[in-house]
Amino acid sequence: MKAATVIGKNVRRADVLEKVTGEAMYVADIALPGLLYARSKRSNVAHANIRRIDTSRALALPGVKAVLTHENVPRVLHAGSPHPRSASVTPDQYILDNKVRYWGETVAVVAAVSDEIAEEALDLIEIEYEELPALFTVEDAMRPDAPQIHDRGLGGNLVLPPVRVSRGDVARGFAEADLIVEGEYEGGRPTPAYMEPNACMCQWDGNGNLTVWISTQTSFMVRGIMAEVLGLPYHKVRVLCDHMGGGFGAKQDLFQSEFLCALLARETRRPVRLEYTREETFLGGRSRHPVKVWLKQGFKRDGTITARQARMIFNSGAYGSHGPGVTNVGTNGLTSLYRCENVELEGLCIYTNSPIAGAFRGFGVLQATYALDIQMEEAAEKLGLDPAEMKLKTAVRDGDYAPSGHPVVGHGLLDCIQRGMKEVGWAEQRKRTRDTGVQRRGWGIGCEMHGAGAQPAIKEQGNAIVKMNEDGSVVLFTGAANLGTGAHSTLAQIVAEEIGLKFESVAVVHGDTDVVPWDIGAFASHTTSIAGRAAQMAAAEVKRQLLKHAAEQMEVAAGDLEISLGEIRVRGTDRTISVRDAVAARLGIPSLQFVANATNVPHKSYSFAAHFVEVNVDTETGQITVLQVVPVHEIGKVINPIAAAGQIEGGIQQGIGHTLYEDYQIDLKTGRSLNANFVDYKMPLSMDMPPIRTIILETAPDPEGPYGAKGIGEDPIVAIGPAIASAVYDAIGVRFRHYPIKPEQVLAALRAKEVARSTTEEGVHA
Amino acid sequence: MKRQIVSFTVNGEAREIAVAPNRSLLDALRTEAGLTGTKKGCDVGECGSCTIILDGKPVNSCLVLAVEAEGADITTVEGLQAGDGSLHRLQECFIECGAAQCGFCTPGLLVAAKALLDENPSPTIDEIRFAIAGNICRCTGYTKILDAILLAAQPAATARAQGVTP
Repeated sequence: MKAATVIGKNVRRADVLEKVTGEAMYVADIALPGLLYARSKRSNVAHANIRRIDTSRALALPGVKAVLTHENVPRVLHAGSPHPRSASVTPDQYILDNKVRYWGETVAVVAAVSDEIAEEALDLIEIEYEELPALFTVEDAMRPDAPQIHDRGLGGNLVLPPVRVSRGDVARGFAEADLIVEGEYEGGRPTPAYMEPNACMCQWDGNGNLTVWISTQTSFMVRGIMAEVLGLPYHKVRVLCDHMGGGFGAKQDLFQSEFLCALLARETRRPVRLEYTREETFLGGRSRHPVKVWLKQGFKRDGTITARQARMIFNSGAYGSHGPGVTNVGTNGLTSLYRCENVELEGLCIYTNSPIAGAFRGFGVLQATYALDIQMEEAAEKLGLDPAEMKLKTAVRDGDYAPSGHPVVGHGLLDCIQRGMKEVGWAEQRKRTRDTGVQRRGWGIGCEMHGAGAQPAIKEQGNAIVKMNEDGSVVLFTGAANLGTGAHSTLAQIVAEEIGLKFESVAVVHGDTDVVPWDIGAFASHTTSIAGRAAQMAAAEVKRQLLKHAAEQMEVAAGDLEISLGEIRVRGTDRTISVRDAVAARLGIPSLQFVANATNVPHKSYSFAAHFVEVNVDTETGQITVLQVVPVHEIGKVINPIAAAGQIEGGIQQGIGHTLYEDYQIDLKTGRSLNANFVDYKMPLSMDMPPIRTIILETAPDPEGPYGAKGIGEDPIVAIGPAIASAVYDAIGVRFRHYPIKPEQVLAALRAKEVARSTTEEGVHA
Repeated sequence: MKRQIVSFTVNGEAREIAVAPNRSLLDALRTEAGLTGTKKGCDVGECGSCTIILDGKPVNSCLVLAVEAEGADITTVEGLQAGDGSLHRLQECFIECGAAQCGFCTPGLLVAAKALLDENPSPTIDEIRFAIAGNICRCTGYTKILDAILLAAQPAATARAQGVTP
């Protein structure tokens, strides 16, 4: 195989010039003539029937053009999650309902000639609620006598029937164990907090065609659900999404606002833009599922795992959204990472009157890995083993089966652990004398494996069209959204490499459902592998067409030709012709239209990582500071090193956040949000970030990925959490089994430890 | 609310706009002045996406009333490029280092960094961290942003190291 000329290189991102000049248009930057501004009225109760809703005073306000409530919108039951044909959805919501299920739920919308008037009108809407008992914790919602939040078939406020995973013989496994470790683990409610608040704009034309500008990861899903709920054929709905200011999974959902924006635009016969404020982006957005995990494992003296039994309970909040997917992925995630033949797992997903949990980077795997990886540390300590050595010994490897049922290819996890141990001098770190002063340092390791793609739950598909222009440049048409990952540059690199062009010769057209081929959406770390492979296949066909044509011109066999950086050469000679001349023998007129489309129905590949972290714990303040991170990732072939590193560093930032401070909280009496802003919801800022020494390995390429590439999007957020928790244990000898780990908890634990020790000492003295 | 006429200079161009007295400078720049490069991430001074330079100082434009900007000299991200369209060194370095991902925080960060370098052409990494502490980025982990600003400051830093006044 010839040496790569474009992939594996740091190209100048195709979309970046617009971003640094301020020219990039996000939805809220686009204004159409006659634009109306929409605002949402949100509930100030957590669980209630709407007894009466009076909009007459709001409608009478000059400048108000329309008000919608549950009384005047279509009542169509649908799922908020965008995968209507997969097993992973629960149709449980209406555009607007006569019932409120969480504090801050939209109950009405107003369109007016200005933002201020729309805002003013919200206060004039009168609502009478009949309050119902509200359930905020999974324990409350699972009580046999708990009220049902949704009047659908399943009891116990279950979003879906319990997920059960069973293989081998757990009873026998535990009987064979030398050590059994059992524990409860808990995860809070971090939220994606993408910088661009949700925004949507809709316009109808005289022929009844609807155009939707929206910040979404899943344009085609938005089109499908909107068409079906609004009763339109698909070709009458056009969804546009150019630049988007992050999503991290959460912008896969529909947020009610899309339907409401479209309905307001239809009623007023004017374009309408509906933006969320930052507070609304917290209230009506999607968070990670809070989780409780009970986990029990049996171990042999040498660290071999003999049995694993677990129960995971996910808090879905008021609606199902991605609850089914997260529960499936999370529960199955507990089969992975460290080899164990006897497994019995149960996963539950429970409705509560809380903010809606949805898709967020890590999608269940994060919650499962946090519990599993910390318990490995506990077991290693009890067995007197080095935790990194024990993880290395039990790590899944070539030929093992991943949670999806696909075989693991290569030794990615072992490679990551070994490289990281060497890189940080792990053995020496373990042997060093521990600090005893106020400031105490510690090292920890966390591991993870994450699949690119959502199979087998979702039938995925990637498509691409590649079209050659008359000057030999090409256009790639892709449905894959660009959340900010640099995906389009990566796809363009693949096309350039495959045909043999320069990166600059590839343009990318995206973001318009009328123009680009269907795409499942940008999520599940799969854009490079799914859309990238489709792009590679289409490019290969265009290359075939081009070479056939060039071979006739050059009077050689097509097989004798090769292309590199825009030059076609007869192999082993200096006879060349430029691609440009081959395409358009007569200036400006192509000899033939070289074009191809390709459909890629992918399988699933797994990427691996081990994160090594050094922390400092201040024993007087309880403050945990991450001092440095050495993330080692194995991701198959790296197409764009700088973009891959950007994903890793950003994932670590979010991971430090959710491990140490991020938790979107509600008042457990009223359900009211307590920190729906960037001051009270603390995220890592420039001052908080440690140096990150990123190492990327390419040791286990995916044979079906483009040039062997796998996924990287979600991986870096998963391993950092248990790594930090373990480093904290190394520093102060306190084991935390939850996130976020807050300073007051560190102090309380240190005090409790101190009390326990002085009691023991007194006992000795007595 | 009755509109008032406000005059200021933005990116070197004298502008006169009519705004309601309770309108933020951010909204006025985006809507009345048509400069949408400045982004609204929180509207309450917490995220820094709307950073502009107002009379030489970086400010959150969402916390300034448009009427307060009477007579002011304003620079937004659109004003970073030179008149001939060539990029500001900071813009080049952001591209070079991969410092822009989703791009939503990028204008605010570029402007905050420009304000820093105007004041202190050869900052230390800690001075840079401090200068952008009010700008939230959720994609990059800040690593490449810090790289980019350091790189942009390099000629000045090198000059300082060599004892040359930049």
